Amino acid sequence: MSLERLYLDALAETPEAPSSRARLLAAAGSRRRPAASVPAWASPYAGRVAAMDALLASAERWDQVVVEGWTLQELVAHLAAKDGLLADAIGAPVLGPPIGVNEALARTHELQDFERQRTPEQTRHSWRDQADAICAHLPGVDPDQVVAPGGTPFAIRDHLLARMLETWIHTDDAANLNGLRLPHPVAEHIHPTADFCARLVPWTMLLTGFDATSRTVRLTLTGPGGGDWHVPLDVSHVAAPYRGESADVTLTCDVVGFCFLLGGRGDGFTWDVEGDQSLAADLFTAAPALSGP
Amino acid sequence: MEAPVVDDRLLHQRVVGGDEAALGELYDRFAALIFGLAVRVTRDRAVAEDIAQEVFVTFWERPLAYDPERGSLRAWLATIAHRRAVDHVRAEERRKVSVLGPRVYERPGELEDTVLAADEATRVREAVATLPDALRAVIELAYYQGRTYRQVAEELAIPEGTAKSRIRLGLRKLAESLGGEQP
Repeated sequence: MSLERLYLDALAETPEAPSSRARLLAAAGSRRRPAASVPAWASPYAGRVAAMDALLASAERWDQVVVEGWTLQELVAHLAAKDGLLADAIGAPVLGPPIGVNEALARTHELQDFERQRTPEQTRHSWRDQADAICAHLPGVDPDQVVAPGGTPFAIRDHLLARMLETWIHTDDAANLNGLRLPHPVAEHIHPTADFCARLVPWTMLLTGFDATSRTVRLTLTGPGGGDWHVPLDVSHVAAPYRGESADVTLTCDVVGFCFLLGGRGDGFTWDVEGDQSLAADLFTAAPALSGP
Repeated sequence: MEAPVVDDRLLHQRVVGGDEAALGELYDRFAALIFGLAVRVTRDRAVAEDIAQEVFVTFWERPLAYDPERGSLRAWLATIAHRRAVDHVRAEERRKVSVLGPRVYERPGELEDTVLAADEATRVREAVATLPDALRAVIELAYYQGRTYRQVAEELAIPEGTAKSRIRLGLRKLAESLGGEQP
């Protein structure tokens, strides 16, 4: 370092950096696509797609098994398969071979067979193209309309949050295998995803066969994007922001840990329990019930 | 107005999430530093411009290569810029050697440079310690932590003009006590 450096850096007098901001953004976009421009309710999904793309840019181990016995290339084909079913349900273009069976695993196998004949880079591109095709279609859809891709009925906005969660979790799976640390989404993207997960809790109890319809939970999720929810365990009621209601049990945990628990990644997860311990144990058992591959 | 000092971690999260505005903010915050660094090493503005652009594009394309747990974004970008600039200079040297022949072209002594730099750093540190408090505060932020005068102003809650004039005055005093190095 020299004193001259200070004139250059600290006072930023001479030389001025060239006004090449626009040139930079254009060059950057051609090397990795920015997040698709979408209505605000879909930005958590667009953000996770961009993050998966960033992971794939640094991934070197395409032929090693990541999860479910699938290589990274097969995992990306799986994401494209489920995105394709959603695209079909909302009237967006479906890329790749036409959908044979409208079911997640069947479509996954179709696309995996197709993608295995191609290079990882081609698979990355067709996955990204399918995700961007969904995003490009969203300004024209009603987010509250219920559709049932692969037989699962949710409002379109919740399907996008479900796709966000799955894309996020698999990006994290792949990052771990490649020795990379995946930063969290921004808080504004985590919060709606956590809200979606909170609303799924009564369904996980129902699907697991626990009868708790008269019980209630207060869920306090900590960290950026967290919040406080009142969750009746009856699927005819919807979880809502906590407003001082009494609850049978209060659960406090990290918001990202909670989303991952619902997504089937509960290893090492803990929460603080106040109140009914056995209800808390049932909730923990049931939590991953909706997480598929 | 320059972007305020923002948390590296948040900027990194946003870049990973494909937020182009975050790249723009990153550019506004570090372009002068990165370009200045590349100019000093290469002594070629056009080459330095290309290197600076490549540093930001590389970070955008593979943001997971950076891990906030291991250091500041500023240091990360500066390291990439320095490496690329040195690579450029070495390639130029090789080119000159092959054109002029090894006997005619003499490589600058790297060890000598390093020793001189270390010696200068020690002398500067001693000189900084003798500055009055108000000047020392701005110089330490600018010199050792690499802040711009705007960031110095923000961190010390003083007007930008004051930060600028204190840095100038501090530099003049440093130059005097270092024996007349007049920047």
